[in-house]
Order: sequence, then C-alpha cells, then structure tokens
Amino acid sequence: MKYAFFVGCTTLSRLPGYEKSARKVAEKLGVELLDMPGSGCCGTTYLETLDHKTALAMAARNIAIAEEMGLDIVTICNGCTEVLTKTNKELKENPKLKAEVNKVLANAGKEFKGTVEVKHFVFMLRDDVGLDAIKEKMEHRFTGLKVGSHYGCHMLKPAEVMETEDPENPTVMDDLVAATGAEPIEYPNKLECCAGPVMGVRENVTWSVGLDKVKTVKKYGDVLATACPFCYLTFERCQLMQEDESPNLPVVHLPQLLGLALGLDGEEVGLTHNHVDAMGILEKME
Amino acid sequence: MEITFTREAKEFRNQIMAVEGAEKLMHCYQCGTCTSDCPIAKRVPEFRPRRIARLAMYGQKERLFEGDLLYLCAGCYTCYEHCPQEVHVSEIVSALRKKALDEGHLLPGFKALMQSVAEMGYIYEIDEFENEMREDDGLPPAPEPDTDGIEAIMAATGFLDKVEASRR
Repeated sequence: MKYAFFVGCTTLSRLPGYEKSARKVAEKLGVELLDMPGSGCCGTTYLETLDHKTALAMAARNIAIAEEMGLDIVTICNGCTEVLTKTNKELKENPKLKAEVNKVLANAGKEFKGTVEVKHFVFMLRDDVGLDAIKEKMEHRFTGLKVGSHYGCHMLKPAEVMETEDPENPTVMDDLVAATGAEPIEYPNKLECCAGPVMGVRENVTWSVGLDKVKTVKKYGDVLATACPFCYLTFERCQLMQEDESPNLPVVHLPQLLGLALGLDGEEVGLTHNHVDAMGILEKME
Repeated sequence: MEITFTREAKEFRNQIMAVEGAEKLMHCYQCGTCTSDCPIAKRVPEFRPRRIARLAMYGQKERLFEGDLLYLCAGCYTCYEHCPQEVHVSEIVSALRKKALDEGHLLPGFKALMQSVAEMGYIYEIDEFENEMREDDGLPPAPEPDTDGIEAIMAATGFLDKVEASRR
C-alpha cells in the first residue's frame, strides 16, 4: 500500500510528535507514505471563504503533484483534508470549472486531471488497512485507559462533500482507540468544534471552547485524542495558558496511541513533544 | 433591530445571492437553529448567525462589514448541517467575506496569512532552522514548495492584488 503523504504546514513546522507517530505507524503496518515534491500550503480553509477560484487552484496544484506520482493522497490535518477533498470533488464533477482552473494552474506548470482520491489518515487505517489487520500487529494493550476522541469538523463536514461518516455519529477514531485496548468514551459535546480557526481573531474564544472540552473529558476520561494539528494545539494551549496547573489533561495525537500499542516506544512516537505531560499513559500498557 | 431597505441594499443582497453557495439566502425563515448550535454564538453575544442571515436578506452592508463580525465564524459547518432550509449560513458568511474583499475590506490577520502563503508557500516559514529541528527528530526535510508557481496562481486570479489593496 502506497500513498502520497500530504503533511500540512502546521504539523510540518510545529508538531513533530504527530508527524513522527503517523509515519512510524504507517511503516509498522506496511503502508508506504511518500513525500510530495514541490507541495506546499493546501490553500487553507480561510482562502475558500475569500476567493473560490484561487482556493481551487491552490489545492489542485497539490493534487496534481499526487497525480504525477500516480498515488492517492493521505492527509493528517482536518483542514487540508477538507480543502483537498472539496476541490477534488468539485473539479471532477464540473468540467467547465476544471478547464477554468487548469488555465490558472498552467501558471505553475500543472494540470489537474482528476485521477486520485484524498483521504484522512484515520480512514486510510480503518478502511484500507483494516481494523483486523491492525489488531493482529498489536504488541501491547492499554488497560483501564479511558480515551475521549475529538473528531474535529473537517474530516466529516460538510457531509455531502466529505462522504465519510455521519457527522452526528462518527466512529472511526473510537474504532481505532478500541483497537489499542483502551476504552473509547462518550462525553457531552463530543462533536463540538475546537474553534481553532478563530484563534487569530479572538484568542479568548478559542481558549474558552478548548477548556470546556478539556474539563468535560477530564471528568469522564484520562486523555484526549485528536487527529488534527489545529484541534491538538487548541486543547494543549488552552491548558498552558492557565496560571495554575489545572486541568492538566494529557492530549495525544491518535497515532501516538496506536504506535505505542504497535510496539513503538515513547521516543519513537514523539511523546516528549507533548507539552501537557502524557507519559502517564505508558503505565497503562501491558 | 431597525432596518431601512433601500434600492442599494436590495442590489447588495442580490450580489450576495449571486455568490455560489449563497443562493438560498431568501429561504431563511429565522428559526435560529444555526445560532443555538453555533459554538461561537455560545460565547460571543454579538455573533448571531441568524442575525447575519437577516442582515444579509436586507442588504445591510455596513452592519455586516463592521469590526471582526464576519471573521468570527470558525467554519465548523454545524449550521450548514443543521439548517432545515439548507440556507447554510456558513456559506452566507463566506459570500460576505468575498464581497467585503471585493470592496477592499479584509481583517489584517487574514491579509498577513494570505501574503505569507504567497511568499513562502506555507502559512509559516519552514526553512533551515525548522528543517534542522526536523532532522533531530529523524524527519525528512519539509517539501520545498514551488513558491513562484504559487504566487503566479494567486496573482493570475487577481486575488493577490485584492489582498494587497485591502484595508480593514
């Protein structure tokens, strides 16, 4: 199994623990993730709201690189996933728009053909590798570790574009958590947005949303798991902004949990990069 | 809320509805589902998606373009999924941001972000320093974006000019 790996700006520059654990988990499962030469920003979810055609062309440039590689794209950022998926779908379905965008793309020496798919890492794991195959490779099991998954918005919504799971009742992250032996938990407001996108507009709003979720998960579980760099940063930073040390809830990237269960050590999954100490989860492994 | 519906206001409403995704603006019957489910509205009293739809229906440009109102939407698509009329207020907000930019308004933070992308190919600088850190973690160097190509794309659509000319 081979994919073009689209990491995304935020993870590339700020979250080595996420990228490392995703790459290592893929390796353990026999999935090859190939870097995409010349790729850059997906365009951002902001750009979509400012200029439709520019947003399509920016995303299509990256998709065209994967097309040249002859590989489907795997992403680890919800924002990139939504931007690339939406563009891919829109251009595949609308030949006139595709021609217009290709005219713009020619300025970067690229052409969008419409020959590849885009999927988030978690769906690649569950649907392409398969839960049974993942469980077979597990070397350890978490016991008594309660994990609250935070899906975030853009791996699921808009549902008619993403076509992954019911955004009101997603299971992919909980399925993967369960595969590690840990206990996936339900909690109030599980599907609420992290509000990361307004961090640069009104920071205090983002911290308020983040803290509400962190406190709720703390009440019902031991750790919060994310699969998006923006969600992760929100839940980690909102805690670091507090003057005292409460609520002190570890936030992990989902591939870190998977990696540990697959036999990788804390260093290999980049656990030392988690700013709210997450080392405690190692004690809940057998 | 007092509203004066002038001919110009009606023209502005038509312009909003001409933007892809905002066609169903007039289907809004003000039920407020968008607002009760909005994670931002829960914390920011002046951010009411229902009110934004109402103001848009009556073409109240000045009120809509005021302050950071349009940029408080997190784009989470909760209102998009829940709207019984498929108005999709998130798309109305997007249409309004596009109109605002056309008229020279863009929040400074957004302006800086878009200029970074045009200049560096990423939203942040990812250069030697970052690549050294990556190497320490056993990660390969970040892909080097084709910055000339990216800038050319953003310029070819006229977007970059609009961003550069924009003020708050």
